[in-house]
Amino acid sequence: MSIILEQLTKRYDGHPVVNNVSLEVGDGEFFVLLGSSGSGKTTVLSLIAGLTAADQGRVILHGRDVTMLPTQQRRVGFVFQNYALFQYMNVAENVEFGLKIRKVPAAERRRRRDELLEMVGLAGLGGRMPRQLSGGQQQRVALARALAYQPDVLLLDEPLGALDAKIRVELRRNLKAIQRKLGVTTIFVTHDQEEAFDLADRIGVMNFGRLLEVGTPDELYQKPQTEFVASFLGSGNLLLGRLSGEAVELGSVQFPLDREAHPIQEEGRVQVLFRPEDVALAPSAEGLDCPVLGQATVEEVSFGGSYERLRLRLPPIPGVRPISPPVAFGSSSILVEATRYPDQASRFPLQPGSKTWVGVHRIQTLKHPGLSFLLVSDASRRSQAALSLGGEIARLAHARMTLLGCGMKEEALQVHLQEVRKQLGSGLASLDVQTSRDSPIQAVPRAAEQQPYDLVIMGFHHQQDIELAERLLQTGEHHLLLVPTPQNAPQRALVCVASGEPGKDDVLFAGRLIRHLGADATLLSVLPASNRDSDLYQRAERFLEGGVQSLSILGVPSKTLIRSGATAEEILREATEGNYDLVVLGAPLNTSGGKISLSGVIEQVLRALDDRAILVVRSHFMQARIHPIMDREREARSVNFGR
Amino acid sequence: MDAPELIQRVDREKTAPTGLKQVPWGRWVLRGVALAYLSALLIIPLAVIFQDGLRQGLNEFWRQVINPVAWSALTLTLWTSAVMTVINTVMGTLAAYVLVRYEFPGKSLLNAVIDVPLAIPTLVTGVMLVVLFGPQQALGAWLKNELGISIIFAPPGIILALLFITFPFVVRAVQPVLIDLDRTQEDAATTLGAAGWTIFRRITLPPLLLPLTSGALLSFARAIGEFGAIVIVAGNIPFYSQTAAVYVLGEVESENRLGASAVSIVMVAISFSLMMLINWLQRRSQKEKQ
Repeated sequence: MSIILEQLTKRYDGHPVVNNVSLEVGDGEFFVLLGSSGSGKTTVLSLIAGLTAADQGRVILHGRDVTMLPTQQRRVGFVFQNYALFQYMNVAENVEFGLKIRKVPAAERRRRRDELLEMVGLAGLGGRMPRQLSGGQQQRVALARALAYQPDVLLLDEPLGALDAKIRVELRRNLKAIQRKLGVTTIFVTHDQEEAFDLADRIGVMNFGRLLEVGTPDELYQKPQTEFVASFLGSGNLLLGRLSGEAVELGSVQFPLDREAHPIQEEGRVQVLFRPEDVALAPSAEGLDCPVLGQATVEEVSFGGSYERLRLRLPPIPGVRPISPPVAFGSSSILVEATRYPDQASRFPLQPGSKTWVGVHRIQTLKHPGLSFLLVSDASRRSQAALSLGGEIARLAHARMTLLGCGMKEEALQVHLQEVRKQLGSGLASLDVQTSRDSPIQAVPRAAEQQPYDLVIMGFHHQQDIELAERLLQTGEHHLLLVPTPQNAPQRALVCVASGEPGKDDVLFAGRLIRHLGADATLLSVLPASNRDSDLYQRAERFLEGGVQSLSILGVPSKTLIRSGATAEEILREATEGNYDLVVLGAPLNTSGGKISLSGVIEQVLRALDDRAILVVRSHFMQARIHPIMDREREARSVNFGR
Repeated sequence: MDAPELIQRVDREKTAPTGLKQVPWGRWVLRGVALAYLSALLIIPLAVIFQDGLRQGLNEFWRQVINPVAWSALTLTLWTSAVMTVINTVMGTLAAYVLVRYEFPGKSLLNAVIDVPLAIPTLVTGVMLVVLFGPQQALGAWLKNELGISIIFAPPGIILALLFITFPFVVRAVQPVLIDLDRTQEDAATTLGAAGWTIFRRITLPPLLLPLTSGALLSFARAIGEFGAIVIVAGNIPFYSQTAAVYVLGEVESENRLGASAVSIVMVAISFSLMMLINWLQRRSQKEKQ
């Protein structure tokens, strides 16, 4: 392997710009990092070159750990977006610079320089000054300069970004040919898909600092694993359907599931992708030789060179939610993109407004369903805090976000939602809006019944909202993130767990979320002060070690802590002393009379901690057992307070 | 094709209801006022001093200039200014570099303090230096007794005063260019294996040279004419610490107007040619930017 990146992380002002990126690039490989601007791809290059210091992780080039080495000793060739040619040197001096620094004799320098200028097609232009060259020529000089001293790896930061289309295509071809000829391992950063598909042996797709998927262009296009990649690469139709038994269901339509291509998946929600070229159109349902989605209206027809591009509107299908292309605010119909070859188009001509039956030849299910958040907002100050933190976390976690505006009159609600949409802004994987005139206490359970969420995020007042939190956990499967005050995305999480099966669940969900935030975790278990039983201590220790293991598999750095004393008090003390900005209460929820009750440790902590976010993780074992430690704590408390 | 377009354009100009067109005097009055002001304030006094210094012929003028006291004052002025300029160029560049490239507490305050010498009366500058380095003061006495260096009433005092007064010139000339400089060129040099001093010398310094030179010349020109601080710091010892400006004052007081004018003419000539040079350099650096 020429380039190995291990869990690289870089933060600016606490925000992870590069988040836990691991990557291996083989010898002589042309690797393309693809992502929109701000996705952290340039920072990855900078970290490899050592122009930026990593906060965590390692960079290994040709088996040499260079993480601690200065840029000068890393032997990387770097081509900058603006070329960064030395303005006060001519082309020849620019190209020779790296050789001169290495004290290569003059004759050898001249030979290398002429060889490279020849290779990039600038022979004889050595005497020109950079500002006398065109953009394309400057780019070639930059490439020649980077390659002149025979670096171990070549890093290119959007080198073709500033050029016009025709020169770009030509230079791309040259670049690929030179890279093949020299066999230098290359990482090329771009936001241009066409460029990526054209150049890459393999592509890595980045978004918000995370490297989402890596694969050959063909693999990524045909079999994307994540929602972002599916909708980012090429155009695609992405719907949320159901997985049941051996079939994928889109409403009443069933597609057989290829178990071999898709190893064991849980039943339930699944994201279904089909490409525009997999859509079949016919004047009647019988005319289609594939599963039929329904009859659609043609919205747009455009000419795309060798094919015709259509946008169709299908009536709503029960149980199916469109993800991409995004549907307009307030609409429930489904948009479908389709392409046809000219012969198909001439056999069955379509204009905007005409009707057509829509079938799908081939679907693909995404492996990771992705997280799905429900953000509760009622325009209060509290919900402002939840909005900013929730938006931030959703962006980092690539979660689908549903915004539930509730507890307001229709008009005020609309105004508020407009504002919130603006505030949440771009960068969300998807943003859905639901409204309700009811208070959160009624609206949230109803929303959760219609569609399960992984996490409900809401503003929280430590005195008034305990009962609300309790009620929100009654229905659904979601965990609860309570935000008392505005804060940044958490950097240090305190995960309070009780040993035993429920604790494992807690650790895993917390880990899943913390991984996205790029935060560190401390696993805390509290043993009763009266306990002199070393068995219990060892069990807790073993359990926490297991937790650290699971977290490290997820890529979350963590450590353990065991305290003894009253559970809530110790949690509060550690939370304050350790400056944690997220407290995860992994507790089995107590049930009394079939209802969930937060009373006990959780309530004590919630009442006392009013300055940082608290994640209440619901354990699936909730009804099965009540953990002895927490239980004992409760008993002790009821004795103390005479309850 | 061309002809009708031309006619149209002429038409438009004719009908354009511009205020200036209707009152063509406005522009002339404006120019007249500016030119009259300039000549009354600058050109006439300059002409008068030339006329006065040369009124007894070139020979007499030259005799006044090479009169030993005057000549020594002129050379003292030039060499102290030159030493100051060298120090100021190096330290001013360093200060500008640190101010632009590094973050440290009190940076904005320091940035503001750099301009203070422009606002303080130069007499006060002289007094400050006397208070600090005067032979009766602790520091001045120590320097004199232990190291045998006298600062006040000696050339080092002149250099110190000039350094203080002209400090902003180089810093302020270099700073904006340094801020605008494309840092990726330095990054590129780093990836090619170059380190600190090489990068500064080969990459950072070349674009700074022009503004640096013009800043240095500006401080030199300013130093030649400095009077207020020097008259206090240097005393008035002929052949030792009497600068040209102070000499001129002495000649005026002893009613040797010819001597005063002659040395003045030399100073004006030096300053004027320096200003021309600076002007040319600044135009060149503007052109280079484009």
